[in-house]
Amino acid sequence: MIASKPSPRQWCWTESLGLALTLLILPAMGCSPSSQPAPPQPKGGSPTQTRPAGNDVLELVFPYGSEKQKWIDAVTKEFNDGDHRTAAKNRIWVRTVPLGSGELITEIQEGRLKGHLASPASSVFIELGNAESKTRTGKPLVGETRNLVVSPVVVAMWKPMAEALGWGKRPIGWADILQIAKDEQGWAKYNYPQWGRFKFGHTHPEYSNSGIISVFAEVYAGAGKLKGLTAADVARPEVGQFLHGIEESVVHYGSSTGFFGRRMFLGGPQYLSAAVLYENMVIESYGSDPAPPLPVVAIYPKEGTFWSDHPVGVVQREWVDDEHRQAAEEYIAFLTAPEQQKRAMEFGFRPADVGIPLGDPINAAHGVDPKQPETTLEVPSATVMNAVVDLWKQQKKHANVVLAIDISGSMQGKKIDNAKIGAKQLVEILDKGDTLSLMSFNDNVAWAGQGLSMATDRQVAAQDIDSLFASDGTALYEAIAMAHRYLVAKPASDKISAIVVLSDGEDTSSRMRLEELLKLVETNVEGRGVRIFTIGYGSDARPDVLGKISEVTQAKYYSGTPENIREVFKEISTFF
Amino acid sequence: MNAMNNMDPSGSSGSWLGKAIVVVLVWVVLAGGGYWFFAGRGGQPAKDDRAARQPGTEPGKGGGSDAGPAQPAITIGVAYGTEKRAWLEWAVEQFAQNEEGKRIQVNLIPMGSLEGAHAILEGDKRIHVWSPASSLYREVFLAEWQLNHSGSPIAKEEVLALTPMVFVTWKNRYDALKAHYPEITFESISQALQMEGGWGGIAKKPDWGLFKFGHTDPNKSNSGLMALVLMAYDFHGKNNNLALADIVKPEFQTWLAQLERGVTARSDSTGTLMREMVLKGPSSFDAVMVYESVAIDFLKSAEGRWGTLQVVYPKRNMWSDNPYCILKTDWTTPAHQAAAEKFLRFLMSPAAQKKALDHGFRPGDPAVPVKFPESPFVKYEDHGLTIDLTTICDPPTAEVINNLLQTWQRAAGPR
Repeated sequence: MIASKPSPRQWCWTESLGLALTLLILPAMGCSPSSQPAPPQPKGGSPTQTRPAGNDVLELVFPYGSEKQKWIDAVTKEFNDGDHRTAAKNRIWVRTVPLGSGELITEIQEGRLKGHLASPASSVFIELGNAESKTRTGKPLVGETRNLVVSPVVVAMWKPMAEALGWGKRPIGWADILQIAKDEQGWAKYNYPQWGRFKFGHTHPEYSNSGIISVFAEVYAGAGKLKGLTAADVARPEVGQFLHGIEESVVHYGSSTGFFGRRMFLGGPQYLSAAVLYENMVIESYGSDPAPPLPVVAIYPKEGTFWSDHPVGVVQREWVDDEHRQAAEEYIAFLTAPEQQKRAMEFGFRPADVGIPLGDPINAAHGVDPKQPETTLEVPSATVMNAVVDLWKQQKKHANVVLAIDISGSMQGKKIDNAKIGAKQLVEILDKGDTLSLMSFNDNVAWAGQGLSMATDRQVAAQDIDSLFASDGTALYEAIAMAHRYLVAKPASDKISAIVVLSDGEDTSSRMRLEELLKLVETNVEGRGVRIFTIGYGSDARPDVLGKISEVTQAKYYSGTPENIREVFKEISTFF
Repeated sequence: MNAMNNMDPSGSSGSWLGKAIVVVLVWVVLAGGGYWFFAGRGGQPAKDDRAARQPGTEPGKGGGSDAGPAQPAITIGVAYGTEKRAWLEWAVEQFAQNEEGKRIQVNLIPMGSLEGAHAILEGDKRIHVWSPASSLYREVFLAEWQLNHSGSPIAKEEVLALTPMVFVTWKNRYDALKAHYPEITFESISQALQMEGGWGGIAKKPDWGLFKFGHTDPNKSNSGLMALVLMAYDFHGKNNNLALADIVKPEFQTWLAQLERGVTARSDSTGTLMREMVLKGPSSFDAVMVYESVAIDFLKSAEGRWGTLQVVYPKRNMWSDNPYCILKTDWTTPAHQAAAEKFLRFLMSPAAQKKALDHGFRPGDPAVPVKFPESPFVKYEDHGLTIDLTTICDPPTAEVINNLLQTWQRAAGPR
């Protein structure tokens, strides 16, 4: 029975740590399928990295948290271009693999990714991976670690909005965020009715570090505590109400903090008023192209925040021999040398080498304050983390999702079979507070099921998906328009409204033109609307058309194949 | 006048000068024959013992007579506390550059002081020299060793450098604390930790959050154990003879539990704890208790990050004497011992002792001056550094230490 299967949301840890740990800690550590733009990266590194020719090359595989990709890319290129050699005279060449922090630890643990050294975003990932490894093998997964860089978790907000809240004059906290999030008048309360309601974003707490941190911080604020949070605190009704009040203002979730940042800077204040990001991303926004419509500033919540501390260490597995260890130490020494540490600051990170004074761009001109945060929150115990995640599931913003699947003739065979597997995975992952409608389209558009509650009708939805078969043409635009009209006719401000469209080719049967469709679905100035996540499936898909549809609805386009379609559906599920 | 005379704190039995002189004298008597003792005892002029065949070599002077490039002939492992990392890494690099050092590979094994002792007790064959932060845990270590062995596992012991314990706070936090509490003591720290509303109650600064204090884990790190012993002495108003009865007293246990409940986090290593404070600023710690040397090492870095640090000496103090203990274990051959002695001679050379001072240690060699313009004790006087200390407490017995650690474990609870 579908409901009894382990949720794919727990895929990265349930096998190894058990449900409790999965729910407690690992989701907090960003068990993301990939924080990179779709499609998920193949294991083993970016195809743009070319190993030098010759038999005297020692390759080091370096999986790391993708938040620091720009810095790692820049300095690793220099390292690889240099002539670093081991004692055996082999040239060291580093293949970097940017991944979600939870995923990289899992992949190494399972031996699917034979990394020689690793650097997740937080040392907690190392502790958890080592604990699991000791249980399995008696040995840790990663040896002694050093910090590469650090960056605090902040609420990134458009500067005029932050100023309206009092930023620059008084400390701002989660309580202030709650107050405006709950207020029907939204920004009008602060004399800016033109800004509409407050729109908030944080990542999915079961996948992303910044997501779980957001929820911890909200619960701490709701409980009125700075440390010593207990399960009894979490169970208090007012704490749940506090959390619900903030979560109501969430536009959608997601697995990647980077995606939130980029979307916010691109979409402007009509898309998001604020999002929980890392400080380095606020700094990065000042150099992004195109430039954001307004400057962004970092709010360090007065109740406290957390640090992302990027530890690095050598993997303790049989595929790492003495020469790898020596090479890894050489590379780590390179990354922690003053020159590379100074470069990290150019990318907005605070160097772990405390001998390097903080300077430009970590300053007010880039929206941040090097003398903040003043205080941090205590990481709760495992039991309390469990209770917090459970509370969030009750209080989160739920979703109305329409899944529209192309069943045209070209989908026959493996394509439709794998698409059905991926779609059923989405059904498994959706929360019991979510509803799903299923639509298929070829020449005709038809509903296979409407408003199916994931609390009661999950199996029905899976059976509906199984019943699909491929034939005839593609009425893509008509299908999207119908799904959109369906969701608009059922407005629910407390729900995330979204369409997930999978199509393998261009529209051949609609009477409607693309321009008409875009005009129909475009997200309004208020930022409210239906998000349309599009999947271009196979080589005949039209990424230009599908990309445009997702772009005007401030959602995301994915490139899918029969091989990666499960990953793509999993990634999309993190938005709900 | 020897500048060292200015540093004799009180003439008490625990003064660092007195201790250094005694140890140095003992060493001088033994040094001449020491090498031959170690080199000859094994009776095996083994092929891996080329270093041991050059007794005349002086640190830093070279003196090797073999032709061609020297290859390390023997490897010794030194388990050391990370508070000495910067100094020892410098020393290993320098040592490797002289002729004698080229024949001896020194592997630095960073371990908490107690962690190193436990590793030796478990037979970690990588370790030939144990250099904990202080001799405080020595008696416990010896007692545990003798449960399964006869005799001492330590062939030779010498003080490398000395340092007392200090509280380190951010200057603005220090000013705020001083405005509320007459002096910074464990008692005032305890009160601040328990203050309703944290900094809001202490200094009307609610945005500073709760008061956050840290020390290292006493079960793993010497500085944590030192902090614990000083807490006990302070609570009982004693300077020596800390007794078992003091530890088991319910009032002390209650007081300790209250204090420890508020301690924010515990690192395994003093260097890591201090670095964390400077890396993450007052968001991680308002105050920590660390070695004076560690505090000095980070004073400048802190300026470039969060601001000025203030050093405060506790009313009662103890010396960390950083002993260099050459082991006498199954896996430590005379050749290892001889090589360890050569590295020791290098560490005690004037240049290395001067470097220790640069890193904030008070030299183990009393001939090395400490009061001159570039000395950290002069340079950082404004941060609260002082050469003279008031009261130095005696190290407690092994039994008292063991009970104190057990009491702490109960007080702190699982983390």
